[in-house]
Amino acid sequence: MVLTIGYLRLLREHAGLPAVARQAMEVALPQWKLSEPVNEVVYGTRGFDTFGETFLLLAAVISVILITRPREPRRGYFGEEAAGRREREEVDPHSGHDRDQEQAREAEKEEAGEPDDAVGGVRSHRRPETPDAEPVGSPAPERAHAMSVVVRTAVRVAAPVLAIAGFYLVAWGYSPGGGFPGGAVMLGVALLVYAGFGRQRIAPVIRPGLLEAIEMSGAGLIIAAEALGLLLKGSFSANWLHLAQTGTILSGGVAQLFSFGELIEVGTGLTIAVFAVLGMSHDWTPDDGEDQDDRGGGGSGSGSGSESGSSSSSSSSSGSSSGTSSGSSSGSGPDSGSSSSSSSGSSSHSASGSTA
Amino acid sequence: MIAVNYLGAAVLFCLGLYTVLTRRNLIKMVMGLSLMESSTYLLFISMAYRARSTAPVLVNPPKGQSGTQLAAGNVADPVLQNFCLTAIVIGVAVTAVFLSVVVRIAQHRRTLDADEVRELRG
Amino acid sequence: MTDAALGSLLPLAVAAPLAGAAVSPLAARLSPRLALVTSLVALLTSLGLLIADAPAVFGGRVLVHYLGGWVPVRGSALGIAFAADPFGLAFALLSAGIGALLVLYTLSELGGLGARELGGFAALVQLLLAGLIGAALTADTVDLFVWFEVAALASYGLTGFFLERPPALEAAFKILVLTTIAGFCVFTAAGLLYNTQGALNYGQLATALAKPLRTADLLALGLFIAGFGTKAGLVPFHGWLADAHTAAPGPVSALFSGLMVNLGIVGIARVSLQIYFAAHTPVLGVLMVLGVVSALLGACMALVQDDLKRLLAYDTVSQVGVMIVGLATANPAGVAGGVYHLINHALFKTLLFLCAGAIVHRTGRTKLSEMGGLARSWPGLAVAFGVGVASIAGVPPFNGYVSLGLIHSGLRDSGQYVPYTLLLLAQVITIAALGRAAWLAFLKPRSESYEQRQYLRLGMQFSLGTLAACCLLFGVVPGYVLDKVADPAASALLGAGQYAAAVLNQGGTITQLHTVFAYADPQELAIALLSVVLGALLAWHMLRRKIPRVLELLRAVHNGSVNDYTGYAVGGIIAVVAAFLV
Repeated sequence: MVLTIGYLRLLREHAGLPAVARQAMEVALPQWKLSEPVNEVVYGTRGFDTFGETFLLLAAVISVILITRPREPRRGYFGEEAAGRREREEVDPHSGHDRDQEQAREAEKEEAGEPDDAVGGVRSHRRPETPDAEPVGSPAPERAHAMSVVVRTAVRVAAPVLAIAGFYLVAWGYSPGGGFPGGAVMLGVALLVYAGFGRQRIAPVIRPGLLEAIEMSGAGLIIAAEALGLLLKGSFSANWLHLAQTGTILSGGVAQLFSFGELIEVGTGLTIAVFAVLGMSHDWTPDDGEDQDDRGGGGSGSGSGSESGSSSSSSSSSGSSSGTSSGSSSGSGPDSGSSSSSSSGSSSHSASGSTA
Repeated sequence: MIAVNYLGAAVLFCLGLYTVLTRRNLIKMVMGLSLMESSTYLLFISMAYRARSTAPVLVNPPKGQSGTQLAAGNVADPVLQNFCLTAIVIGVAVTAVFLSVVVRIAQHRRTLDADEVRELRG
Repeated sequence: MTDAALGSLLPLAVAAPLAGAAVSPLAARLSPRLALVTSLVALLTSLGLLIADAPAVFGGRVLVHYLGGWVPVRGSALGIAFAADPFGLAFALLSAGIGALLVLYTLSELGGLGARELGGFAALVQLLLAGLIGAALTADTVDLFVWFEVAALASYGLTGFFLERPPALEAAFKILVLTTIAGFCVFTAAGLLYNTQGALNYGQLATALAKPLRTADLLALGLFIAGFGTKAGLVPFHGWLADAHTAAPGPVSALFSGLMVNLGIVGIARVSLQIYFAAHTPVLGVLMVLGVVSALLGACMALVQDDLKRLLAYDTVSQVGVMIVGLATANPAGVAGGVYHLINHALFKTLLFLCAGAIVHRTGRTKLSEMGGLARSWPGLAVAFGVGVASIAGVPPFNGYVSLGLIHSGLRDSGQYVPYTLLLLAQVITIAALGRAAWLAFLKPRSESYEQRQYLRLGMQFSLGTLAACCLLFGVVPGYVLDKVADPAASALLGAGQYAAAVLNQGGTITQLHTVFAYADPQELAIALLSVVLGALLAWHMLRRKIPRVLELLRAVHNGSVNDYTGYAVGGIIAVVAAFLV
């Protein structure tokens, strides 16, 4: 049945190049004084498609921010909260602890119970800065913030090279205009430094407030670049910058500006998204089951104790001061979901998703 | 027309679809959708190819042809490649939202089984 | 202003909400409500720009603008075209206007949300509306796909907004899976069309498709219909609709039902009526079948629901079916009726969903069995809900009467009596479903009173009042609306050759068709009266007895599993594609 679709795909033509493509190369390319048709089509002639796509990425990043957001105080009565409470009780009826859920709860409690810098802590383990002091071959999980000295040195060397490579993609590359890949490389650099050095070193730079502001300004730059075409040349996304010589950094006029704005927006946007998911805290649905465990198997009347502030030890981010957070890291999948984030999640504490 | 590529794209699409249809683990469903996306990229790039053509890059053209000659000659199609770039970014964006939703579901419901996350029915 | 200058304002109408979306999260840090105020400003700007273009377009001209000035060369267009024909502009105006009303409603109802949440909410709403306006105005398949995806991504975030409700994440996952597959279908279809015809522009495609069609073209058509059908909520692609509309916040559900499903309808209309118009495909027959099945199935499922918003969501499925039936008649009255119903549906469904959202927000109750007695404690809302129900029922003097009457006459004129009777049956069931809802929520007496006091704030009053007044207005002066809006739109859809030529020539005119709606037609009045009576009887029957077997079976089919919904959707895709290839 499913292969019917597959088979139907085989019917194609082998034809000459369509006129539209010829036009792209013969007419439009010389006008933009660029040397690469794909670039010119993406940012120049059909720049409006890329414009829409930039905002698509913005929509995705904002969706991720919304889904991973911590709980905030609200004013006024919200019937949805009451409905939510009632629905949660229907869904989670406190009966039948199966093994997977037990494991998940244990893991979350364990990770949450480790404070960042306190000496002592729940299990009287102090998390060392780097694992260099531990003997080689000690059992997992690593409790250090950062990685060993080998990794750190390598990161110190590699990160600037990668960063420059990313900028080069945008500035020169084959021809100007590599905003998307440049942004992705920026994200890669950020992740590399995070993995190598731990959350504390990167927290001053990777703050949600700062990154969001940069991203929105990137988006604003793109809108302005396109809209000014309307004002100055009578048509949206027309080229209003001076077209420099082919092959130089400033060639391509608006296309290059667009690509640069794209770099800013994509890079910061993807970084926000990734670090938001890493730093998700669990303060929306308090664990009623843990209350039950602590009180020794009470009835289902945990509705009164399910206010966000007074929930069990796994979530206390609403009460903590800004800066440190003890939100549990993203749910260590109980069953076979072998997501790659579990490796980084176990060796480093979650990044702070604190309010701006 | 490259028959192997088209067949490959079709097979990948079917595999991805099969995963979404039959697997209950949420992350496997996400991977299936990602596979379907990749198959469409393959399809598009293959559609952009013309027999014995070169890449549509006009800097440093091969021997014996100037830039403009190349543009009027036998090159692959840049417009479809543009379309494909757009789609790749869309795929990345969708996967990002997908994974954040899945992680939230795992956090709140402590399960990754689609059959247990099934309260809305009827 | 000249046509060219007016045309160049069109992209600004899309860029204004996008700029607002970029600003909103930052504005929310200063003050949460500031984000909503900026979005209101952005939407009103967009609305103003569109209104500036309206007289020219509704007078029968098509405003075309090639972005960046990349006009077609020798009949082939590389640049992206924005073409404001009456159909697209009507939808864009609707989106901007109702969007502004919804933001106003949010300002008064949900204004107490935290700063981060409200900033994100405002940004996503604006992105969604920008996507809808862009998709309505564009004349390029790739651009249509891009705005489709923008709207889709914004909808994912908005569905999973209230994280404390378990249905929210579940519904977000379902809408993600199904809409992503829909995106693939549209994407593949656009690529296939480019491969065979070498064109992305609607005008160029329409002229190129006048030749005999190849297999890939038909496959592309099938995939287009499937992809846009998923967005519109046609059966069998509708699995996500009920869940997503239930779990989303009140104004967002209104946005989805009133405006976002129209994106799918606009896509279907453009593809089937304007791009493939010269080819001989069974597309109209396929659409008629899908429409009738959706109308019936949506109405039947709505009859047995316990959750108020889920009931309204299934009613959306039904009304979308009615709209597609209207468009598929290819008859001036029918198509004008379909467009009119699109406008009406946006109005009354938004009204109903805002009422439902207000109920959930104020009382915290979602199930009909727990509600009751709201007519006494909250009379303003009861009146608004009553207006909405009367509009759907097709009772004069409200607007449903006009649009349903036009579709009926279109079906009669083209001699399609089987869909006609089935549509009437669906209407009776719909009235029964909504009557039952109104009774259970408002009129049934309730023993204990609610915990909170219910009242209507100023923003809510304004929004609800405006929508109810529009329902009444569109029903009372149908001639004006027909003349100015629906007829030009129908002409644009049916006169596709002129549309295509206009797009390629950067401007052109469309000859107007004229349909007349006889308001006091005895047949229509009889239908209205009879359907209300029968519907009331059916509702009374449903309230007393158990659910019949057939409906239980239908409910069991909608078992909430993502795999199964995907299976239905894929089955639908295969069926649609096979219908074209055979």
